[in-house]
Formats: sequence, structure tokens, C-alpha cells
Amino acid sequence: MNTSHENIFSEEEKDILQEIMNIAFGNATADLANIIDIYVVLNVPDIHVIGVGDLPKYLDETIKLKGESSIVEQKFWGDFNGSGLLVFPDRTGKDLISVLDHNEQETFERPLAILEQEMLVEIGNILIGACVGKVADLLDTFVTYSPPQAITQTGESKTTLIESFDLNQSAIIMKTVFEFEKKNINGFLLIITNSECIGWLRKALNAFMESYE
Amino acid sequence: MIFHQIFEMVNVGIVILDKDMKVYQWNRWMEIHSGISGKKIIGNALFDHYPALNNKWFLRSCKSVFAFGNFSFFSQKLHQYCFPFKPVNTLNCKFKFMQQNCTLGPLRDENNAISYLYIMVQDVTEVAAYENKLVEMNSRDGLTGVYNRKFFETRLREEFERYKRYNTNFSLVMQDIDFFKKVNDNFGHLAGDYILKSFASTIISRIRGADIIARYGGEEFCCLLPETSIQSAQTLAEHIRKKIEGMAFDYEGIKIQITVSQGVAEPNTRMSTPDNILKLADSALYEAKKTGRNKVVTHIIGTSPEQASMPQSV
Amino acid sequence: MIKKILIVDDSPVARKMLKKCILDQDQYEIVEAIDGQEGVDKFKEFSPDIVFLDLTMPVLDGYDALKQIKILDKDAIVIILTADIQPKSISTVMEYGAYTVIKKPAKVQSIKDIIQKADNKLKGIARATDEY
Repeated sequence: MNTSHENIFSEEEKDILQEIMNIAFGNATADLANIIDIYVVLNVPDIHVIGVGDLPKYLDETIKLKGESSIVEQKFWGDFNGSGLLVFPDRTGKDLISVLDHNEQETFERPLAILEQEMLVEIGNILIGACVGKVADLLDTFVTYSPPQAITQTGESKTTLIESFDLNQSAIIMKTVFEFEKKNINGFLLIITNSECIGWLRKALNAFMESYE
Repeated sequence: MIFHQIFEMVNVGIVILDKDMKVYQWNRWMEIHSGISGKKIIGNALFDHYPALNNKWFLRSCKSVFAFGNFSFFSQKLHQYCFPFKPVNTLNCKFKFMQQNCTLGPLRDENNAISYLYIMVQDVTEVAAYENKLVEMNSRDGLTGVYNRKFFETRLREEFERYKRYNTNFSLVMQDIDFFKKVNDNFGHLAGDYILKSFASTIISRIRGADIIARYGGEEFCCLLPETSIQSAQTLAEHIRKKIEGMAFDYEGIKIQITVSQGVAEPNTRMSTPDNILKLADSALYEAKKTGRNKVVTHIIGTSPEQASMPQSV
Repeated sequence: MIKKILIVDDSPVARKMLKKCILDQDQYEIVEAIDGQEGVDKFKEFSPDIVFLDLTMPVLDGYDALKQIKILDKDAIVIILTADIQPKSISTVMEYGAYTVIKKPAKVQSIKDIIQKADNKLKGIARATDEY
């Protein structure tokens, strides 16, 4: 990892970002349970700043580790912008039916391949939206979203996904492992921030702290 | 003022709902396609007019818009439509309802608080129709018009997964026209093509709408019969056998008679892939060929094809 | 009268934020701990009047730290600070004897109110109620 990129933020800024992520993900967990009956455990997020050219490699390694994984990608726009990636190992799409509490009858009519996509896209939209939305809230801004895309095949489409990230940007990666309670379904969530919003982010982090001065 | 005109003018449906799911705004596009005026619907609960939207999926989306500022996407591919509107161009339209891409999102007040949500409705009927046409073209056999092998295999895989998951039964009937090479040799390839087409349409007339018939190879066809017991499949195959046997196909004044051999199989719990059932049906078909043709052989679980065979010799 | 406050949180930012929410800081003696174990140790050593405790921490998490503190002193006033305020986690910490639960990020008003309430309890003016 390129150390000059690790130094984009001061230690204090990193601490603030870390705490904002902790709060955002905690708030998201609570609201998901209290408001839409989705019970998910989000672990404390890891934050990395990744340098020029390292992002595709990082993604490649992170995704490849999981073999035949299912991925949902959703871009978000605003002062705070980037991509959310939700990665499930081993094509868990169909099992998500139970997370979303749909009974089998309702979903019976649809071909399973379509159903799998539906579930992935839906859960991706909800989780990415909840986490990104809470971070944006704390940073006193809001974001808009593109429709989420599900990628269930291995190989080519993953390469395309990886290539869709600009090689020349540095990015902040926030990675968290999550697990749906009692469903034995887990995966990880990456929030990748574009380099163009790093300047804004630094200001927002400091403004967040100043509101406590 | 200007924005309000655009709100009425755009070729997109716009609905604004408050937190109680009451309609706050309803643009002209919505008035035109729903037949409900803004005057009538504004202030009313959306679900009073569209009770079908009062479902888990839609409610969860609305809640996540209000809770997180999420956007929610109801794509035509997955949902077909949110609002049951008539298609605009009813000529040549295979859809009963207008196909829609719908987006839900938050509307914020000056303090960034979310007080309303919007629904945008886009008519994508035409695109969806083209797409269906392409998919349809890609799934048919050019000569006979029945499904092709690729489509059949996809459907078989889906049916097999459904069987594994929900334990819903289905059956396969593999069919092969007996001595088809002789038809080609004696009457020419055009006659052979004619026989293939006529054979396929005879089968189509005997099966249900949900059943699938596909051309599997040269003169080999395969029927996938969802929610059908092996006994019913066998009965159907026997009907087909008799029907074909009794027909004289008329090709430019020449009467051509054919017979068909068939192998019938159903899935069982020991199978791990759809190939297993294909193999079973294929070996039953082989058995029918070997033991005299013009017959149906059924592979019943726990027996070998020999024991299960029900010779129907002519 | 509240004199001594213990803040247990692994995040330096969270501790700083909380301190900013405690008005008239100079009235109090404030001690900080960076994980549950250190929190329990400092509780013994320092005997604070109230404790602000985070739940997700390394070494010893907030749930276990709470249990140990309550064993040391069953009347200890422990206020849980967490971002994840699900009824399930709230009822767990209340069962363990937490005084109340406050949602993160901490806000000046809620911290002020809770200190006032704890103060009254200590003075024996008002009885504590289990609300958050």
C-alpha cells in the first residue's frame, strides 16, 4: 500500500472517520431492525486509504477470495460520492428470501434465477443505502443513488466491474463484515469513496468535530 | 411556477406521498394514464386507489426512503409495473398492462429532513416488447417454431431447482421419430422438414399451455411437463403415439406415415443435476427403440427401464 | 453530588465528543479508559459517581464490563452509549443493571439531562426510572 495515500488524512481525521462509521453503521443496524424488520449484525468497519492503481488489485483479491460470489454494486452521488459493493459468498441470493421475510408462496411463480437477482438487488439497495445514508446524515449532507446492479456470474463481469473504477484515483475503502441473525448468511460491505470528494470529506470531518467544540 | 409547468408537462408520471402514504401531488401524466384526476386523489391514501401496492415489498421501500433517504428501484424486468395502467398503444401489444420502470426517493425540506417521497413512473412498454421479441426469437427453433434446445435446458434447470426446493413434481417425455432417415431418403429433405413441422404442431395441439416442447436434435423432441406425474405423462405419451400412428401426413399429395418412440421419466431425490433426469428419459427412449419402436417406455423409480417398459407393439 | 465521572470508550473521538457534551467540565473530575478491562480497573481505583460506557470495544466489551462493574458495586450508575439502539440490546443491558441507554452520537441536551437525573438520584431526591 502506498504510504503517501495513507497520509491523506491526519491521525485525528482517521479517528473521526472511524467513529462516524461506527455510529453510522450502529444507527443503520438499529433502524433496519426497528423500522424494516431486517436483523443484521454489522461489525466494526475497517478503513483503508488505497493509493493510485491499488484499488483494482485490492478489489480483485477481495472478491476472488470468495470464489463464486454474488455482488451488488450501487453508485451514490453528492458531496460524498462513490460506490457501495455488497459481496455474498457462494450465491446466497435465494436464501435472502427469508431475510426479506417473503413467504415461498409469493415468490413461487418466478424463475429462481430472476428471484435470486431480485433478492440481491433489494438487499443490496437496502444495506448500501442504510449505511451510506447514515454516514451522509452525520456529515450533514445527502446523496442520490443509481440503480443497484447484481453480478452473479464469475469471471468477465467481475473484471468489468473492477475496470469500471478509475485507476488514477485514490479511494477510501470502508469494509465491514455483516451477518444476518439466525440465517447463517454473511458477507461484506465495501464503501469506496471517490478521490474527488476527499477534500470535501476532510472539511466535513472537521466540521463534524467542530460542532462539538 | 416554471417548475410546476414542467411537473405537469414531462412524459413521466410523478406522484408525491406524505409520511402517511397520502397523495400530496399527482401530475398530469398520472391523471391521463390512471383516469383519476389530481383533484380526486390528492389527500387520499394511495392504497385506497391502488390496494395491490399495499404489499411488503412496496412498504419496505417506502420505509427505507423515509428512514435512510434510500432510493428504491422497481424495474420492469423484475416487477413489470407498479400502477396497473392500460398500455398506450393497444395495437399489437402483448402486455395487459403498461410496463414501467419506477423509482422511489426522498424529498427534503430546507433542513434536510425527509417529509415526502416521490414515485416516478416511466413507460417502457415498447422497449420491453422489443426485448421480449428478441428473447423469443432466440429461444425458438427456426424450422419448427417450437423451443430450441438451449431454451429447453434453461427451463429444465429451473424446473429441476424448483423440484429440489419445493418438491413440485414434473415429467419429461423424449421423443424420436422412427426411421426418419427413410422419410428424407424416399421423399426428399423438404418432405422431411414438412414432417418435422407437422409432428411438432401435432404435439403442440396435445399439450397444455404451461408445457414446453422443444426440438432437441435432428428428429428428436422433448416435452417438459410441469406439475405432472409420471403416470399422466405416460398417458399423454401414449395418446401422442396413437395419434401419430393414425395420421397420414400429406406432403404435396404424397401420404407419409410415421411412428414415434418415446421415453418418459421423472426426477427423484437422488438426482443432483438436471442431466440425471435427461439421461433417464434418454435411456427409456433408447429402450423403446431397441424393443421395437412405436412405443412408450416409462422409467419408474427403483426399476430399470426393462422392467418398467410397457410394450405397445403394432 | 456528582464529582467523579468515568468515560469508557475505545474511540478517542467518541471520548472527546462526550466530554464536549458535559457542560461545566471543570466541576468534575473526569477519568478515561480505552477498553472494558481498563474501565473495570479504573472503576475500582477511582470509584466514580457515574460511568459512561460504550458497548463495542476490544479486550473486554461493554456488556462484560457492565456485569463486572455491577458485581463490584450493585448501585453503580452506568450509562450505556451506543449507536445501535435496538430494543433487544437495550433490554439486555438493562437486565445487566445499566442505569439508562443513550443513543450515539451524544447530544449536549441528553447528556445534561442524564447527569441531572443521576445527580438527583445520588442526592436521593428522585427515584431512578428505567427510561431512556
